[in-house]
Amino acid sequence: MNNNGDEQITRRDFFSIVGWGGMAATLGGSAFSFYKFYFPNVLYESQKVFKIGKPSDYPMGLSEKWKKERQIWVVRNEGGLYAMISICRHLGCTPNWFDDKKKFLCPCHGSIYDIAGNVLGGPAPKLLWRAAIKIDPVDGQIIVDFNHRQDPDPISTENGLMVEEASREVEPFFLKV
Amino acid sequence: MSNLWKKISDGFTSSPVYKAIFRHGYDDTPRTRALTTFSNVLYHLHPVKTRRESIKIRYTWCMGGTSLLLFAILTVTGVLLMFYYVPDARRAYNDIKDIMTVVSFGPTFRNVHRLAAHGMVFTVWVHMTRVFLTGAYKPPREFNWIVGVLLLALTLLLSWTGYLLPWDQLALWAITVGTKMAAATPLFGVEGPFGAQLGMRPDNDVKFMLLGGTEVGQNALLRFYVLHCVVLPLLVVVFLAVHFWRVRKDGFSGPL
Repeated sequence: MNNNGDEQITRRDFFSIVGWGGMAATLGGSAFSFYKFYFPNVLYESQKVFKIGKPSDYPMGLSEKWKKERQIWVVRNEGGLYAMISICRHLGCTPNWFDDKKKFLCPCHGSIYDIAGNVLGGPAPKLLWRAAIKIDPVDGQIIVDFNHRQDPDPISTENGLMVEEASREVEPFFLKV
Repeated sequence: MSNLWKKISDGFTSSPVYKAIFRHGYDDTPRTRALTTFSNVLYHLHPVKTRRESIKIRYTWCMGGTSLLLFAILTVTGVLLMFYYVPDARRAYNDIKDIMTVVSFGPTFRNVHRLAAHGMVFTVWVHMTRVFLTGAYKPPREFNWIVGVLLLALTLLLSWTGYLLPWDQLALWAITVGTKMAAATPLFGVEGPFGAQLGMRPDNDVKFMLLGGTEVGQNALLRFYVLHCVVLPLLVVVFLAVHFWRVRKDGFSGPL
């Protein structure tokens, strides 16, 4: 650098820039390739969008038919059908349905849910997820999209964490069939 | 701009964290240069001072350093490949196929691993040739020559055990051939001298121990995987440390 205003890159500066620039490019490129490598493009997991049969297969109440294979319960009430995900909102264990108590109890840390997924007690901070469902127009079966989930903000009441059931019974998380 | 840079770098080098790691100043004195080496666990394997003549590239060919660099590259790319490869005879081949087709940068890392492996076998041989030609194996460096021979053997074993992992026809038959040679080991191999007389059978000799069976199967794949990814690299690291430390103790060879 000289002092009369026009900045001039010296030979030393030039090689310094090229050297450090090359190093930064190499490290940056490596970091980028490592980062991309960690995200697999093909998964060998079970399908996250799947069919569970026709609405007429599910009578009134709770069905545990798909719990083991697909981690969902299918529930029919007076209005229709919804698919609730069998993952406790505390730390991810699978709650058990007790038909005599009409409650879900989580075996890990004791969270308690009602059949709609409202939290009646225990450490769970939010309600059970419901998955998006729709009818396949070709064969009439229910299609569940496991990763598209309804997650409402609950209101704290004296009975636990609740939401208005009507606000949950909306498309695409509820089938009026 | 340069003021700002100076401010940042001064703030960084005067912080307690920096001073806890680098325990000396950076003034340009022989003392600082010695302390830089003494106070760093990796540098301290290296001699504090080296003669100008003995690090000329026309003398060293820089083949030992290149071998170390390739070993480092092989470690990094090898660990990455382990994230997608499972040594299960039913899926190993498909895992390699996946790495080569659907994993981002998978072909890059596998090819770099493979080329660096071939390169390391080459550079270790050339390094050994250079040491032989310059007479650097003579006393007082004869112990380090032996360590070097062990490192050569470990390099070849790493290359050979990695050969089986793709689990294709080339791998299977290469290891079939290679382990057949083990069966000809004197005393301990079923086909070796005195082997049969000492009670060696195809299901209890040294080849059986190496493969974990009488044929190249699941046990062999798992054994070669564990040797390739854990046992042999650990041995190489231990012997490399001894190798460099011996260079420090014995001094560089070369003209005075």
